[in-house]
Amino acid sequence: MTALLEVHDLHKHFGGVQAVTACSFTAAEGQITGLIGPNGAGKSTAIDLISGFKLPDSGTVVFEGDQVQGKAPHRISRMGLIRTFQTPREWPSLTVLENLILACFNARREGFWRSLRGPTRAEKKRAQEELNRARAVLEEFGLLELRNERAGNLSGGQKRLLEFARIRMAEPRLVILDEPMGGVNPVLGERMATAVLAFITAGTSVIIVEHNLPFIERVTDQVVVMAEGTVIAEGPFDQLRNNQAVVDAYLGEMPSYDDADA
Amino acid sequence: MIDYLVSILTEGAIFAILALGLNIVWGWSGDFDLAYYGYVALGAYMTMVLTIGKATAPTEYILGLTLPFPVAVILATISAMLLALIVGAIALRHLRGIYFSIVTLGAVYVLYIFASQFVPLFNGYNGLSGLFDPMGDFFGLDFTTYPYFYLGVCVLVLVIVVVGVTRLNGSRFGLALRSLREDERAAAVFGRDIYLMKLKAYVLGAGIGGLGGGLFAGYLSAFNPSAWSPVETIILYAAILVGGRGSTRGVVLGVAVMVLGLQEATRYLPEFAGHPTFAPALRLILTGIVLVLFIRFRPQGLLPERRMRDKDPTGKGGVAVAVEQPIVGPALDTGVA
Amino acid sequence: MHQALLTLGFGLVAAAILALSALAFTLEYSVTNVANLSHGEILTVGAYCAYLVQQHGGGVILSAVAAAAGGGALALAVHNGVVDRFVRKGIGGLPTFIATLGVSLVIQNILVIIFGASNLGYPVPQGPPRNIGPFLWTDTEIQIIVSAVAIAALLYVIIQHTRFGKSLRAVSQNRSLASVSGINAHRVAALTWLLAGLIAGYAGFILAESVGTFSPYSGFTFFLITLTAAVAGGLGNAWGTLVGGVIVGIALEFFGGYVSASYNLAFAFAILSLVILVRPRGLFVGGRRSVFE
Repeated sequence: MTALLEVHDLHKHFGGVQAVTACSFTAAEGQITGLIGPNGAGKSTAIDLISGFKLPDSGTVVFEGDQVQGKAPHRISRMGLIRTFQTPREWPSLTVLENLILACFNARREGFWRSLRGPTRAEKKRAQEELNRARAVLEEFGLLELRNERAGNLSGGQKRLLEFARIRMAEPRLVILDEPMGGVNPVLGERMATAVLAFITAGTSVIIVEHNLPFIERVTDQVVVMAEGTVIAEGPFDQLRNNQAVVDAYLGEMPSYDDADA
Repeated sequence: MIDYLVSILTEGAIFAILALGLNIVWGWSGDFDLAYYGYVALGAYMTMVLTIGKATAPTEYILGLTLPFPVAVILATISAMLLALIVGAIALRHLRGIYFSIVTLGAVYVLYIFASQFVPLFNGYNGLSGLFDPMGDFFGLDFTTYPYFYLGVCVLVLVIVVVGVTRLNGSRFGLALRSLREDERAAAVFGRDIYLMKLKAYVLGAGIGGLGGGLFAGYLSAFNPSAWSPVETIILYAAILVGGRGSTRGVVLGVAVMVLGLQEATRYLPEFAGHPTFAPALRLILTGIVLVLFIRFRPQGLLPERRMRDKDPTGKGGVAVAVEQPIVGPALDTGVA
Repeated sequence: MHQALLTLGFGLVAAAILALSALAFTLEYSVTNVANLSHGEILTVGAYCAYLVQQHGGGVILSAVAAAAGGGALALAVHNGVVDRFVRKGIGGLPTFIATLGVSLVIQNILVIIFGASNLGYPVPQGPPRNIGPFLWTDTEIQIIVSAVAIAALLYVIIQHTRFGKSLRAVSQNRSLASVSGINAHRVAALTWLLAGLIAGYAGFILAESVGTFSPYSGFTFFLITLTAAVAGGLGNAWGTLVGGVIVGIALEFFGGYVSASYNLAFAFAILSLVILVRPRGLFVGGRRSVFE
């Protein structure tokens, strides 16, 4: 398994608080890697550091062989790393379909002069293909009837699905999902698990930050555990259940997928 | 009577051009820029100093060339864009919301103060004059037919601007710019360089403003600090807000209502002796009230921004993207869970 | 050196007025999270109220009271009529900011209609300048500085040592939490704006006294400088604002003395822009704010 993302010795402090200390882990290509830990473990900060939304004090982040720490978020995105946020971040006044179309970034197509002179026939054809693909992706996620709706009018669960649809559309090399199950109806959870697994099939590797441990157990191949700003364990979920440090961090037992309802 | 009509339509066309430029910055990009009228003013000033020839004492101003009017306007537009590039590069780097607005307000006031106080620049409070009937000689027009000609020029420029703006609006550039307005973080996550895009929009808007300013100078034949003040920007904003923020048709409607309509409605008010400022003050009061009401109750304006609507019934593709329709107002009840 | 001290003395007068105006603005911001762009108009209305009293033979004290009362009434009206409605509806800072710009336009032009657009002056004389230590002040200027200090001190006592002050602080720190704890946030905000209006109205009066003339636009122009002090000190941070007001007031006086008074506003905005760019949250609050941090 080649390492898609390698995080080495990340450090970040805010004022007097050391949010992330000596954080190191790897995420392999073609796998779903979980990132778990109790509240305040530094998971979100780590994600911000990796995706360019915060600057690390020290340490490196290597994505597909290139160093990305300190780069601006849009540069990292263009290299193929997309992340979500703890609350869904759709573009509310735009339609669902427009949200999807915007997921594909193309510097040339969005250029000022190119936009002013209008598309050539070849470009129109490509735009049509993209539109068809967007419709197909929407259908896959059950959002096709909503394609002309204002994205802001969608329910919370629908917005999460929209985010997934956008990622499917963008086809990044790696997607980092920041607590995708947050505030989501458990029924939707199965749909999400399917969607996450579908990412892998489509060539997108996944890192999931989650508190919902049954979900993590269900979908991940590898799990990274953080506590108090640093990584305390890495390995498949089953192994971690027996890891004393992990158990201590969670103050007791880790719930199992088999025990959970629905 | 006809003269008056021609005059007011010319003014309307110019203000529509100005509003369209501001619409790019506020309506599309989402930045409440209070420096906009500064670019308009610079466009006007530069057009004048490039056409009225050398300064004769006691008047003082920079340059003083006698270039043809169209050339002067183009150069003036470029100069407005350069100023916007400087202000925007600084203000858009890290600032948003009210902090951005405050800094741009500061920038325009600085420009206003320099234009008013620093005489060697644009002749201070007295300003510049002498731009009579630009291009009139070239076309051999006399003073009776000239106003029609100039109206035609302004309407022509307006049409060109509308075509360009509409094209940009429906393009990927326009759509991507909207995503910055809606949610910057998400836009960055999907590859957009926020700073660069906003700066482009800012400079573009300012350019259109400068262009309008140049036409404005030709219309007034003169330009001085009493012809513009930083507060004029608020009138443009009111027009955009009322008409439809982000929407090209809306903005033109807004100018028709808030600039022309208001002017007409208050024209027949009695002029109290000793209160020559009554009508203009009343107009501004109405503008302010309308602004507050619309921001509160109808922020999307009379003609809200149209979003793309996919009409293909099967939803399976094969047909080009269809006609635009407005998506209006609050939550649509579709019955979907 | 002597000249510098004299300039400092004049600067303290300007600083006093600026500090009061900025404090009032910060009070408004702290309880509603709204940058009130019509704040300058509260000062203007205060100046005009004092003018009306003087036209009918009132003295300085009555004028001052009228100014404060006028300012307070206006601030309360703006809050309850506009700002609070926006806050209740959950409308954000920027749209409300725009709305206050509209309010500013309305008030300015109502004044233009009633009083005309030109400058007016107070008939009350300033008094001869006296030497107080190394400074040279007129009676009026002494009144300004002393009253400003007194008001600031009174405000401090109110905020720190009364129950109302406690509610004010609670609302300014976390409005929803304060509401849930049983505080009527809307009432506290309204009273705070009333208080701010009283102070700002008085500030308008002493501003007009100090400058000599005023017009419907005086308050707005002065407000732009107030904004400099308030933002430099940190929006919502009363102590920082106070210090910011004093520093900016003195700096402007030196600038005006050694360069040219007409460019005062430009200089103020240069300071403001510099502060915002370097420390958007203000000089006295920690941390730089990038777009994403």
